[in-house]
Amino acid sequence: MADSKDPAKPKSRGRKVKEGVKGVFYGMAAHGHVTAALRTRMYLEHLFMFITLGDMLGVPVIPPYYSLKILPYAVPNIKSWKQRVFRERDFTDQVF
Amino acid sequence: MVDILATPFLWVVATIALYGVAYWGYGKWIDRNVWRSDAKKATPAHMYMDGVEYFPVSRYVLWGYQFKSVAALGPILGPFIGITFGWLPALLWIIAGNFFIGWLQDYGSMMLSVRKEGRSFGPITYEFTGARGRTNLLAFVLFYLVIISATFIALIASFWIAFPGTFVATIGIILAGVLCGQLLYRMKMNVFAVTGIGLALVVVSIYLGVLFPVSLPFGDWNLPIWAFICALILGAAAILPTPMFVQPTNYLAFYPAYAAIILILVGALITPFTNTTVQMPAGPFLFDPQGILGPIWPILFVAIACGAISGWHSLVSSSSSSKQLDIETDALPVGGGAMLSEGLLALASLIAYMVLAPSFFVGRTNVAAWVQGAVVLTTPMLGALTAPVLRTFFGLVLIIYALTVQALVTRFFRLVAGETWAEGRFRALGNKYVSTAVGLGIPWGFAVSGSWWALWLYFGGANQLLAGLAIMLITIHLARVRAPSRYSLIPGVFMVITTLAALIWQTGTFVWSVWAYLQNDKTWVIRNVRGPIQSDPNLLIVAVAINAVFVIVGAALFIVGLSMAIRLFRSYSQSITQARGKAPAAADGGTVEKKSR
Repeated sequence: MADSKDPAKPKSRGRKVKEGVKGVFYGMAAHGHVTAALRTRMYLEHLFMFITLGDMLGVPVIPPYYSLKILPYAVPNIKSWKQRVFRERDFTDQVF
Repeated sequence: MVDILATPFLWVVATIALYGVAYWGYGKWIDRNVWRSDAKKATPAHMYMDGVEYFPVSRYVLWGYQFKSVAALGPILGPFIGITFGWLPALLWIIAGNFFIGWLQDYGSMMLSVRKEGRSFGPITYEFTGARGRTNLLAFVLFYLVIISATFIALIASFWIAFPGTFVATIGIILAGVLCGQLLYRMKMNVFAVTGIGLALVVVSIYLGVLFPVSLPFGDWNLPIWAFICALILGAAAILPTPMFVQPTNYLAFYPAYAAIILILVGALITPFTNTTVQMPAGPFLFDPQGILGPIWPILFVAIACGAISGWHSLVSSSSSSKQLDIETDALPVGGGAMLSEGLLALASLIAYMVLAPSFFVGRTNVAAWVQGAVVLTTPMLGALTAPVLRTFFGLVLIIYALTVQALVTRFFRLVAGETWAEGRFRALGNKYVSTAVGLGIPWGFAVSGSWWALWLYFGGANQLLAGLAIMLITIHLARVRAPSRYSLIPGVFMVITTLAALIWQTGTFVWSVWAYLQNDKTWVIRNVRGPIQSDPNLLIVAVAINAVFVIVGAALFIVGLSMAIRLFRSYSQSITQARGKAPAAADGGTVEKKSR
């Protein structure tokens, strides 16, 4: 028997309505808080990257020995870190 | 069953129908022919996806988020002043303002940001009007935030005085929010269990509020003290980490706030069965019959801001929602749909005022009339609950709407102040604690001294002017890409002229008051202040000083707004001239533009 939640199967109208209501409810009650939490994590990650990869910017925050030990964990985040740090930011971005 | 025409029922149905036409008729037409939204075009959420600020979100989630972000105290209290000119003009403005301007601004701001790679209004203003334009915007927003804060602090303090049961309930809901935050983030408890515990605590808080009403014994000084307590709470909300205070409290506050609106709308729809009839006069009154506010134009159009049109929404649409829009065609349901829904919130509030006797509005000091109207509409449904419980519940809802938004506004002020005074001689003002103290201290001063309706009209004027400026930014973009711009130009010009006129009128009122004082007529000066300053003859000179300060505030708002408007109209004129030299292009950024020669 096919799984009723099979993504390939077209959604029934009832399921669409249920998902829509659930989405609206989530959006009203929690979405803003989730994005705020993500943003807080982003700032902490920026700090972590700055501490571990400060050498890249000419700021040796911690001894290179420890930087090298942490490097494997930090490398996968370099691209998104650069993308976020270089992004233009303005006071009007901080409304919510 | 009563005469159906005497109840608000038909007006509710007619407004919903007209909003439907605005969305499915005018809205779809603008979306298709002016902005030419394209579901296949990549949005910033996909182009710059980082999982934090830029990521695609379902339109339902985003609609809920947008609606929750824009719907607050504005659509609830605006109609209280607007109904001065009769309920019919207020209703017509809620319908027509939203139909032709309100949704257009929210949707247009979102589309503009999407077409500008998810950038918010600061960088877009910089692009269209240069560095001075952006600095102008920054100054305007700072003023705007001070005025909002003053208005909301004044209102929260007034609500605590009007409904003694709500203070314990408010503290209860805050403590419940903090506890839920700890359970959620520290104890890692299930979100549904935390919500259940939180809601149970909210019910207990309301019950305790009814049992233990709190009234201060300081007479005219009650208001300043309540306002100070409010400022302390807001200070904590602005300084403490958001997961500890603001987030869980706002989350918990969401439930009673929206339950109240649904109850009122249902109450309005069943009025033919509950014998609830319209009591207020329909109007229109071209001048305030009580001789306080002035003429219907421009006052009505700034008194009812949110629900018809609000500049705050443009900041929300362009700062966060546009970065998470999955496909371009979602902008209409999210931006336009949320605004039209907020119009229903304003409608529900207007209905709550319409069913009250005109005596509730004498002197325009009974800011809590909405609660009485809500009780009138819902008591026939909720007969089992006693009136004191309902009054505490609806009073708490008013406070929640003000407090949750004001907590965010205070944080935003702190961040803007931090940016404005990051360096230079005044860098101390950029400090977290100093900026919070300034961002609450100045508004506290206004809140305890100026009359709340004067503050509200300044707030409305600043808010609507921001809306006009946002619409002008939208118009400039449309002109630059040679898309039809008249549909936003006309509302933009109307809003800018109307709100500047309102600011002139309002400032002129204070100038006249000071002038009258110099001619030995003290009544005008006294009328514009409140609390001990109003009642103590020894503080008359303070009242004069406050009127003078209000003149300065109004003049500053007017000058900054006018300067911004001139820059935008000049930029629009240049855009039109440049665009005339090019062949027609799509509103999608003009990627297929060709030289006409």
